[in-house]
Amino acid sequence: MTNDRIVEIADFIARYLSFMLGAGVHTSRVVRNSKRIGEALGVGVSIYTSQKTATLTVSVPGSSQRDTRVVDIPAYPISFEWNADLSALSWAAFDKKMSLEEIRGRFDEIVSKPKMNPVFVLLMVGLANASFCRLFGGDIWAMLITFTATLIGFFTRQHLTKKKVNHYIVFVISAFVASLCASTALSLGIETAEIALATSVLYLVPGVPLINGVIDITDGHIQIGISRLVNALMLIVCIAIGMSATLMLVKDSLL
Amino acid sequence: MIAIDIVSDGLFAAVAAMGFGAISDPPLRAFPYIALLAALGHAARYCLMTFLGLDIATASLIAAFIIGTGSVWCGKKVFCPMTVLYIPALLPMVPGTYAYKTVFSLIMFLQDIDSPTRGSEYLQSMIFNGAVSFSVIFMLAIGATVPVFLLREKANSMTRGSKFI
Repeated sequence: MTNDRIVEIADFIARYLSFMLGAGVHTSRVVRNSKRIGEALGVGVSIYTSQKTATLTVSVPGSSQRDTRVVDIPAYPISFEWNADLSALSWAAFDKKMSLEEIRGRFDEIVSKPKMNPVFVLLMVGLANASFCRLFGGDIWAMLITFTATLIGFFTRQHLTKKKVNHYIVFVISAFVASLCASTALSLGIETAEIALATSVLYLVPGVPLINGVIDITDGHIQIGISRLVNALMLIVCIAIGMSATLMLVKDSLL
Repeated sequence: MIAIDIVSDGLFAAVAAMGFGAISDPPLRAFPYIALLAALGHAARYCLMTFLGLDIATASLIAAFIIGTGSVWCGKKVFCPMTVLYIPALLPMVPGTYAYKTVFSLIMFLQDIDSPTRGSEYLQSMIFNGAVSFSVIFMLAIGATVPVFLLREKANSMTRGSKFI
């Protein structure tokens, strides 16, 4: 194997793993899939991951050729579709003995697929939070108010994220906006107003990093697991800050 | 009446899982199974907590185990890794209110730091909410991961031979 070839393979695997880690796939899957692609191309792959960078070594078994690099992990929005399809790509590469060029072509196709329509996501999140309100015992009016508050709050979040505002500030503001909208339930005198207010911010809770963090910890990737949990914790603090601003305004007490 | 309660609990949990899942861009083919798993899991937790009087952490563990086992079967059908199905299905059970109430209790404790009685009440409520949210999240993830540990090979080859790439 020529040195240029190894550099090419390392370039591709570096891209592959930075996309997967950036899209919020748990660590052991990324490592396993990258090793599988390496095996399909006849090289050994070793990876060290941390929260924002990963170190990758590609080596040829039985020779001293190797290529090591540090990869930045970009912050993509979480994408389960990439998770599913890029995992499938690693199996296809392994089973069909695809060449590097073929794998790269497929990879580019997968990551350039259009994302879900933001308006559809907005409606789904509104419905989801309204049914969440119901699960906590809210009546139909509380559900309606939660639905509207979530639409406005999530729209704010989408809009601010598009403007590349710092994500902690995005969380504080959207929690404030959503809970402020939901606090109209108090002045309208709805019976289950408290429930509408309490559930209006739940669409912000970072459930995926929380669960991913614990999965990483159980898989033995304890450092990155803890950093995911800490990250999620910071976001929860932001939600609480945004919501406490509303609560201080409308009822002077938090609990 | 009980049956209606259980079914509506599952139904609303399914809508919640699909909606919260949609934020994380799952493949469209996974939605029906996410809904099914979330409904099963949440209804199971509702039954365990209401009728058997189990605590929220144990009930979450069992419900997550049901979701995890179900995702082994569903994942093979739509060529999705188990996590793509079970993480969205677990989202309605993530204890969000407990989590932010932990922070609220902390803020209230700092506000009432001079009053020993109220201050310690808030401190107690902070530990209570924090412990519940931490253990429930831990139990949810562990419960759903146990099937992965039991079926190593099968669980790690869900997307093998996928028709969707």
